[in-house]
Amino acid sequence: MFFNLSNIKSNPAKVIIICLLFLNILSLTIVYSSLHQRGELKNPDIFYKQLTWIMISWVILIMVSLMNYRLYFDFSSILYIVNICLLLTVYFFGKTTMGAQRWLAIGAFTFQPSELSKITTIFILARFFSSSDRKYFIKGFILPLSLVLLNAFIIFKQPDLGTAVVLVILFLMMGISSKIRKRCFVFLLVSGLLLIPFAGHYLKDYQKKRLIVFLNPNVDPLGAGYTIIQSKIAIGSGKLVGKGFLSGTQNQFNFLPERHTDFIFTIVAEEWGFLGSIFLLLIYWLIIKLILDRTKEMRDPFARCLSVGICSYLFIHIFVNIGMTLGILPVVGIPLIFLSYGGTNLVVSFILVGVFLNICRNT
Amino acid sequence: MGQIIIRRVYLSGFLLLVFSLFYYQIVKGDYYLQRGRNNYVRVIPLRSIRGTIFDRNEVPIAYDKATFNIAVVPYEIQNKKDSLFMKLAEFFDCDVNLIHKNYEKRKTNIFSPVDVIIDCDKMQTLKAKDKFGEVIIINPQPRRLYPQGYEFAHVLGYVKKAVSSLEILKKYGYTPSERIGFGGIEQYYDAYLKGDSGGDLIEVDAKGKIVGFLGERKPEKGKDIYLTIDNRIQTRAYEALGNNRGVIILLDSKKGEILALVSRPSFDPNDFIKGENIKKLFDDENKPLINRGIQATYPLGSTFKPIVSIAALDSKKVTDHTTFNCLGQFNLGMSVFKCAHVHNQENLYDALTHSCNVYFYNIGIITGSQAISQWAKKFGLDSPTKIDLPYEKNGLVPSPLWKSKNLKTPWVKGDTVNFSIGQGFLTTTPLENAMAFNVFATGGYLLSPYLLKKIDTTNAVLSAKVYLGINKELLEPIKQGLRGAVVSEDGTAHQLNNLNLKIAGKTGTAQTTGKSHGWFLGFFPYDDPKYTVCTFMENCGSSFYAVKTTYNFLKDLQDEKIL
Repeated sequence: MFFNLSNIKSNPAKVIIICLLFLNILSLTIVYSSLHQRGELKNPDIFYKQLTWIMISWVILIMVSLMNYRLYFDFSSILYIVNICLLLTVYFFGKTTMGAQRWLAIGAFTFQPSELSKITTIFILARFFSSSDRKYFIKGFILPLSLVLLNAFIIFKQPDLGTAVVLVILFLMMGISSKIRKRCFVFLLVSGLLLIPFAGHYLKDYQKKRLIVFLNPNVDPLGAGYTIIQSKIAIGSGKLVGKGFLSGTQNQFNFLPERHTDFIFTIVAEEWGFLGSIFLLLIYWLIIKLILDRTKEMRDPFARCLSVGICSYLFIHIFVNIGMTLGILPVVGIPLIFLSYGGTNLVVSFILVGVFLNICRNT
Repeated sequence: MGQIIIRRVYLSGFLLLVFSLFYYQIVKGDYYLQRGRNNYVRVIPLRSIRGTIFDRNEVPIAYDKATFNIAVVPYEIQNKKDSLFMKLAEFFDCDVNLIHKNYEKRKTNIFSPVDVIIDCDKMQTLKAKDKFGEVIIINPQPRRLYPQGYEFAHVLGYVKKAVSSLEILKKYGYTPSERIGFGGIEQYYDAYLKGDSGGDLIEVDAKGKIVGFLGERKPEKGKDIYLTIDNRIQTRAYEALGNNRGVIILLDSKKGEILALVSRPSFDPNDFIKGENIKKLFDDENKPLINRGIQATYPLGSTFKPIVSIAALDSKKVTDHTTFNCLGQFNLGMSVFKCAHVHNQENLYDALTHSCNVYFYNIGIITGSQAISQWAKKFGLDSPTKIDLPYEKNGLVPSPLWKSKNLKTPWVKGDTVNFSIGQGFLTTTPLENAMAFNVFATGGYLLSPYLLKKIDTTNAVLSAKVYLGINKELLEPIKQGLRGAVVSEDGTAHQLNNLNLKIAGKTGTAQTTGKSHGWFLGFFPYDDPKYTVCTFMENCGSSFYAVKTTYNFLKDLQDEKIL
């Protein structure tokens, strides 16, 4: 090992940066493989776009890590309101792609304000949870809950069920780790689970279909069940060591749709096998563990809440995305952080890591 | 405290992912690898061309013709299926429901092409390819064609997909989509006709496009088969029978080669290839699928009399000069057995010429059922002729022992009386009867009939004969009697005398439930027999019609200078 363990604990920043660089290289490799078909590269611009986004993300990461995190405590409310306005703009004027209004076009770039919601939600929750004690029921529970639900509802209407669910889970995870009474969150969780059967009424047809297909992919092998069946085949057929770079048949012969975005994990699993997948999970786990270990040492409650939020953000994306490609969770459109093609998510993830790096510097 | 919970949640989440990955990639890895392979590795079967079947003059009577199937890839057409099928139906002028039905029935894997329209001709297929482009896939396929389906149906049989009886066929190396002969020559010589199927092993992408080539096996054409059947004679025989149920067999008396074997009603084997009207054939109460020549047994009636004569002469209890007085009936105890006419004094020659029942009642009683039964068996009436066709049945020759064993009642004299004119329990297939009768033409040899003349260039040697050990002196008076039936003014088959073919023969009217069956068996020319003919007509009323049909048939052949 080129670094010793005590060093990691006191200064996790270096290791996290190394991990991120490694994930960037992996992302480019896999996006390249996903574009590679029958021996030729299709849509090479996607590869270069991803490369551009990675470079932009690093610039942003450096900038953010230089900004004092306490600023977010003060600006969290303004950021929240701005984000809600952006979401409403998208709702009324946004660009429609694949049946969902998620994108906002600024010049040549398009971005998804719903991704920004993840940042603003973490900020606003960190503010409320850190400044409340277990006694404050309204300020510590009802108010943040309403803010999150409002945000989630607008996103759900886009419709983007995945991001809405992420916001609610963020609320639960950050809440449980705060000083607020646990029974509130437990009650919320239980009542939420009980209400799921009634929620069907408000779901779009394709969302309902995805849920039915999650329960049994074979009901519609050509339609909604198709992706999940092919995804499982891709992952399973990778076996222990995988089929090798550019040799995954599910990938190369185009049996998998959306494989450079939400289903990018299938390429890892198919071409690099069980060992490759486990290695990837270990890197993710290392990042999360480093953040969690550092969090324990933080004395500033806001910093602690923030870093639990960042950590939860990472975990939710990893778990839900890989879980969905494996068919153990329903298909919701959540990208695999640091790997999936897509600029907004990459930037958002890097901003959050930047915030953590700043916390490390200042505490 | 809260952070510990969160840490545990993260850890269990990661462990769940690791376990799932382990399950899918390690435990079920081979299963998914196979499923993945099924996605992209495809065997394109290349059907072997089945051997052609020719008649003895090398006229093709069954051959493979190239046709084309239109196929689609389910994954490719998922959104536009209905509109595409509508357009295809319009273009090929067929029922859109049939396309949907074919699609649902044949669909296997969403990436494998499905044949939705079968049997298109070349021009139409090429035009369709121009119009629909990459959406459709052309699947060339050899199809069996029977230019004279009805005439040859029972001799040839037909071909079907091996899938219907794959369990049995698998060990012989058949694949489900391969064709296998069923019934007739197609089945009997399937091993020669079928050839070896080959195939291309290819890699395809999700659009069904070929992206790689893994290997191939070239198909090998099946061997051609030449039959002893003469297409011209077969056709004439088929026409001669008209709409009657019945059989005409013409064979080479000396070799046993079958020149014609027709059974009516018949069917069109092409229907089985197309899969049309099949249920109607199975439901038809006239049973057109049965080859009446070899798969149904009938009472022989008077055509059995020559064999009774042999038994009687051989027993030495009767000579050809022995006479019996026919008063039109024969009394046995309380029972009365009829004769067609009052023939008065008759010897063997007269009795065969006139087919006098009373004469045969008498010699039957004198000879005894045991001896007649033995001779009938010697003539092969209870054993298959071993013709090279599948599913041949054999007749039943009764005997006192047989009756007490099977019917649990003793043999009575009345049974012998019936037996001696070919009635009662005795039944045979028309071919068995023809081969037995042919013994008189060969001068004492029982032949095995056969249809195969050669395979490709190798001549078949199937002719087999058994010497029955009959004294020439015994045969001669019987042959004369058979000749008498044709030449005598009052002979039962005198009509045939007009043909100048020197026919000797025996008629038979076999009583059965419903109208009687009509028989005529004959050979010609009398001095040196070359042909043996057997005409059998089910429930036609009497032998008169069999004689008439034989006359028309042979007259036709004579007029066309085929004989």
